[in-house]
Amino acid sequence: MSFMSLQVNEPGRSVLMTGNEAITRGAIEAGLSFAASYPGSPTSEILAHLGRLANEHNLYAEWSVNEKVAIEEAAAASFAGLRSLCIVKQNGLNVALDSLVSIAISGIKAGMVLVVGDDPGAHSSTNEEDSRLLSKVVHIPIFEPSTPEEAKQMTLAAYELSENLKLPVTLRCVTRISHASGNVTLGELQNVNKQAIFAKKDRYVTNAALHQLQEVKLAKIRQIADTLPFNTYKGPQNAKTVIIASGPSALYAPEAVNALGLDNEVGVLKLGMTWPLPEKFLLEHMKHAERVIFIEEIESFNEDNVMALAAQHISEIYPLEFYGQKSGHVTGPKGPGVGEMDPDKVKQSIARVLGVENNQAAEKPSLKLETPDVPVREMAFCAGCPHRASFWAMKSAVALDGRNAVVLGDIGCYSLALRRTGWALPQTMHAMGSSAGIANGLGKLERFGFKQPVIAVVGDSTFFHSTIPALVNARYTRANFLLVVLDNETTAMTGHQPHPGMSKNAMGEIVEGLQIEEVVKGLKLPVVIQDPYDVKGTTEVVYKLLQSEGTKVLVLSQACALVAAKASTRPRVYIDQEQCIGDSCGCNRFCSATFTCPATIWDPKKGKALIDEVVCNRCQVCVSLCPQGAIKVEGGANLDR
Amino acid sequence: MTAKVLNIIVTGVGGQGNVLASQVIATAAVDSGYFVSVGETFGASQRGGSVTSHIRVSKVSAYGPLIPQGEADFILGFEPLETLRTFRDYGNSSTQVIMNVRPNYPLGVLLNEDQYPDIPVLTGNLRVQSQKLWALEATNLAVDVGVPVGTNMVMTGAFAGVQFLPISFLAYETVLKGMFAGEILDLNLAAFQVGVKAVS
Amino acid sequence: MEQSKMPLRLRQEVMESGNCARCGLCVGLCPYIKTMNERIAFIHDCNREDGTCYRVCPRTPTNLSDLDKQVFGKERADHGLGNYLEILYARSLNKDLAQAGQYGGVVSTLAAYMVESGESQAAVLTKRQNNSPPTPCLARNREEVLSCSGSNYSASPTLSILNAGVRSGLEKLTIVGRPCQILGLRKMQALTERSEHNMSAKKVDFLIGLFCFWSLETEIYTYLRGKTGSARLLRMDIPQNYGVVTTENGEIQIPIDELRAFIRPTCQSCFDPTSEFADVSVGSTEYDPEWSTLIIRSTRGQEIVNKVCNAGHLETKPYPEERLPLLLNAVINKKKRVLESLSNGKGYEYLELSSDYTQGIEEGGVGR
Ligand SMILES: Cc1cc2nc3c(=O)[nH]c(=O)nc-3n(C[C@H](O)[C@H](O)[C@H](O)COP(=O)(O)OP(=O)(O)OC[C@H]3O[C@@H](n4cnc5c(N)ncnc54)[C@H](O)[C@@H]3O)c2cc1C
Repeated sequence: MSFMSLQVNEPGRSVLMTGNEAITRGAIEAGLSFAASYPGSPTSEILAHLGRLANEHNLYAEWSVNEKVAIEEAAAASFAGLRSLCIVKQNGLNVALDSLVSIAISGIKAGMVLVVGDDPGAHSSTNEEDSRLLSKVVHIPIFEPSTPEEAKQMTLAAYELSENLKLPVTLRCVTRISHASGNVTLGELQNVNKQAIFAKKDRYVTNAALHQLQEVKLAKIRQIADTLPFNTYKGPQNAKTVIIASGPSALYAPEAVNALGLDNEVGVLKLGMTWPLPEKFLLEHMKHAERVIFIEEIESFNEDNVMALAAQHISEIYPLEFYGQKSGHVTGPKGPGVGEMDPDKVKQSIARVLGVENNQAAEKPSLKLETPDVPVREMAFCAGCPHRASFWAMKSAVALDGRNAVVLGDIGCYSLALRRTGWALPQTMHAMGSSAGIANGLGKLERFGFKQPVIAVVGDSTFFHSTIPALVNARYTRANFLLVVLDNETTAMTGHQPHPGMSKNAMGEIVEGLQIEEVVKGLKLPVVIQDPYDVKGTTEVVYKLLQSEGTKVLVLSQACALVAAKASTRPRVYIDQEQCIGDSCGCNRFCSATFTCPATIWDPKKGKALIDEVVCNRCQVCVSLCPQGAIKVEGGANLDR
Repeated sequence: MTAKVLNIIVTGVGGQGNVLASQVIATAAVDSGYFVSVGETFGASQRGGSVTSHIRVSKVSAYGPLIPQGEADFILGFEPLETLRTFRDYGNSSTQVIMNVRPNYPLGVLLNEDQYPDIPVLTGNLRVQSQKLWALEATNLAVDVGVPVGTNMVMTGAFAGVQFLPISFLAYETVLKGMFAGEILDLNLAAFQVGVKAVS
Repeated sequence: MEQSKMPLRLRQEVMESGNCARCGLCVGLCPYIKTMNERIAFIHDCNREDGTCYRVCPRTPTNLSDLDKQVFGKERADHGLGNYLEILYARSLNKDLAQAGQYGGVVSTLAAYMVESGESQAAVLTKRQNNSPPTPCLARNREEVLSCSGSNYSASPTLSILNAGVRSGLEKLTIVGRPCQILGLRKMQALTERSEHNMSAKKVDFLIGLFCFWSLETEIYTYLRGKTGSARLLRMDIPQNYGVVTTENGEIQIPIDELRAFIRPTCQSCFDPTSEFADVSVGSTEYDPEWSTLIIRSTRGQEIVNKVCNAGHLETKPYPEERLPLLLNAVINKKKRVLESLSNGKGYEYLELSSDYTQGIEEGGVGR
């Protein structure tokens, strides 16, 4: 948020930065030239910042069509001697993995850093996935920052290490790093003017014979790890209890130890490089300990690796007990490894291991009064979100069709349709573009008596990211399904990043956007474009398309309400409470209780509906759906419909 | 400031701009020489979920980005239900609270399945439980200044105004000047001032 | 009537059980029941307790003797044809309407008179769409009435336009409908204790019912397209033992068995082949395609027929004595078949029939 601090050129000054800003700053201080990414929470902001700073710092930043292309481009820049950065989220790494495995084998030239955002607790993800396991598979080292300050320092260190070893280096951030803010000490801003060249003698080829070289590189890093300043130990010398923590847990741990009054008994060993391990450093501290407690987020990655190390050196460190996810001691309410860590869980876990009283309850002054019931706040489509109209229309068409059409969900804001805000319409949801692949499969089961129509629903960004190959496949194999593209003209889920369908790129330059229908027409598949705000028309179109055979595409085109609202001069929408007849209408509070747009609320005093005009984005969809015609547009205007 | 760390929670609903408010407060604190950690949960920000920022301010060292339960010293609540939720989990009898009284109804309430607590009951509850409660018509104040989306600056102004953190108004205004320019800056400054006044 | 989750019951007992007559009256009362391609469905579960949709449905419990009293002020004497004042042969004296009409063009002539004379603001009719399902039409003038002439044999939910029409401010409406549609409208008119916004039937003041022994599934149009190719379909008729479609390229005969495959099963549970609750009912003569059978049932029906005849648009002649038993037999046989299927548990029971009524049917209808 404090974007301006990225531009401050006062080395030594301490400024507030998010983890993502710190990484951005670190990359620029490291002389970054080339960055590529596909948006994904929690790391989306990095490329967005780099795009805005591109001109000033003579670098190139790109929102790529997907992560596989992004990592290949970053590797290319490195091959040509430019420091590069690829930024992905956990799932994005899965997409890029095939290429990354090979790039790690072939080796690189200039420093190449891979930022991976993991999302413990799945704040903004479909899953909790520990990407460290993948970096281990790839044979590349992992830095794991525990503060924004460290994120910046590690970015710089990662470039050095990468360039030394000719190997990409992973910077693994969790949400509480990327989206956390803290003091960051500024360094010198670089403005490198590098010449890119692919040297005639250079070869970057994947070859099984290079496996041996990878092992050699790892062995080297293992030695370097022991001397890295990011692996630290704080606490009494020869403490009997040592906590091994990484990421933000390395901050929760000392706070918890302090709160439990155990400062003089427990030491905290922070792992800044979690793969390969600083073996000597670890062994040194395990020797004096009687018990080790592992605290980390998602999988028991450090725990497994350190225990394997310990087993190998059992005679040097025996006796020693291990506590963590495996022993069941380090856990939240939903079980070890499930959900994100926080100071309370860490404190409880430590208390559980050491058998001390968790004095938290005693410490917390009990509330004087019973708190009234606090209803949960479910996520829902925003006011005026075109997806709400789209899913209502699809739901209507599916009901009218009456053949139990199967709706397949995908990844984006519209994943919310799996919840009540989208009437739980989709029956599957997996990875980016998976709906189209699953539709391909279902779309061929007629020979096995399958009679249900199939609708795959993707967003515009997801369409470009990984739906196109599935469409090609559908055309080739004549799959029977309807692909609905919810085209809101942006990558809304992750904060409105541009994509290949748009006329702007990451650096703000005007480019020629690729129209979705151009692609579909190129595949010689039928395509219809429709405005989802016209719910009746959309219902009819979906219904009609469901009656036809083969693969067909419907583009539901309407800008994201949040973008549109910002630029809006749309007229005010209000409810004429004279005309709304409340509960004596047969509508069962349609606008507030069924369509559940957050802007249409219930006015309990009058027993009628009401529009919260601070929330309303003035899409006017409810105007067309109110059976009583009680929702009005000021001036009687009616958008472009 | 005598405590080792001061824990402030800014809470609200996606779209209310509370993340920006927490950034202004945190930046002003860093610029005034403190160690600050902010833990933000804004994955759901654009989709009507609860959005909460934990701000931890210390003279001594950097703290982790999350506040332990029951240890909030100050809650800046943009929405009554979220304020109550946060107080229930993080508040204690010495917690101070500024709350915007305008409700934003969750889906379960719209669906007529859940009951939104009565505002007077909710306010009364917080008033008794907390050390001090300022209940503000922040959204209406922002609407009066001509920027309904300026609720966040009214709240920021109110937070600055109660001087829970020994930070000058100038420090906040400098942060705003670094973030905005022109008419938008003027509107935000105006909203900030309205907030300061509302608690003085 | 039991008042529990009526919309849900409508969905389960009527729609999902294949008993929907597709009258269309429930469409447009609320945002939840919609129609497409003649099918009616709930697009979203409505959890209301009470539901106008359920109360007015011609396929939910209905007390016939109450309805007889409500519409005609008395119980019926004829258990075949129901209450009526007079039964006649009739035909249009307007060339274009006579020409375009299914038989005598009587229905169109009555409807045209209603909208032209100002007795009605509009008539709810059904309009042929070549080889596709017909669409509802709010006819406001003679031209529009003419364009709706002729029968479409599918169960088109054309009353769906009524609620929207009334909401747009129309009053004094004429309705042309199948027996199920007439029954639904009368049930809605019977909800006297309600003055709600969605009591559209109260704006209907002339009901023309068609004879209808059964209707066909929508798939008939796909089938017909297969027979006629791209030729425009102009007319369809089902004389006694075969079907005939007339296209711009001439007539095509269709074996009755092939047509029978498209008969909607729910029509086999219907007791009312002659629109017993209409003001007037019109059907074929099964004898002379130039004429239609016209049953005048109510005084309102009598009044309008008189006016139309006096204005020189319609001529009538007595119903041939010797043919009346044929009609009555056909009707009684249908009713008996329904009773039989009910007694062996196959049919769908929705009518509350007093023993008088069932006995009347068993005994052959007239004269009690
Ligand atoms: C599904 C169906 C089944 C029928 N079955 C029989 C039968 O078994 N025996 C019999 O004697 N008569 C039957 N009829 C009635 C007959 O076909 C004529 O409609 C009737 O005799 C009137 O003829 P007409 O020339 O006076 O009508 P016209 O002047 O041609 O007017 C016909 C009217 O019927 C309306 N209409 C057309 N299709 C439909 C429909 N699907 N639903 C509702 N209204 C419609 C039109 O809007 C038009 O106003 C049936 C009609 C239908 C629609």
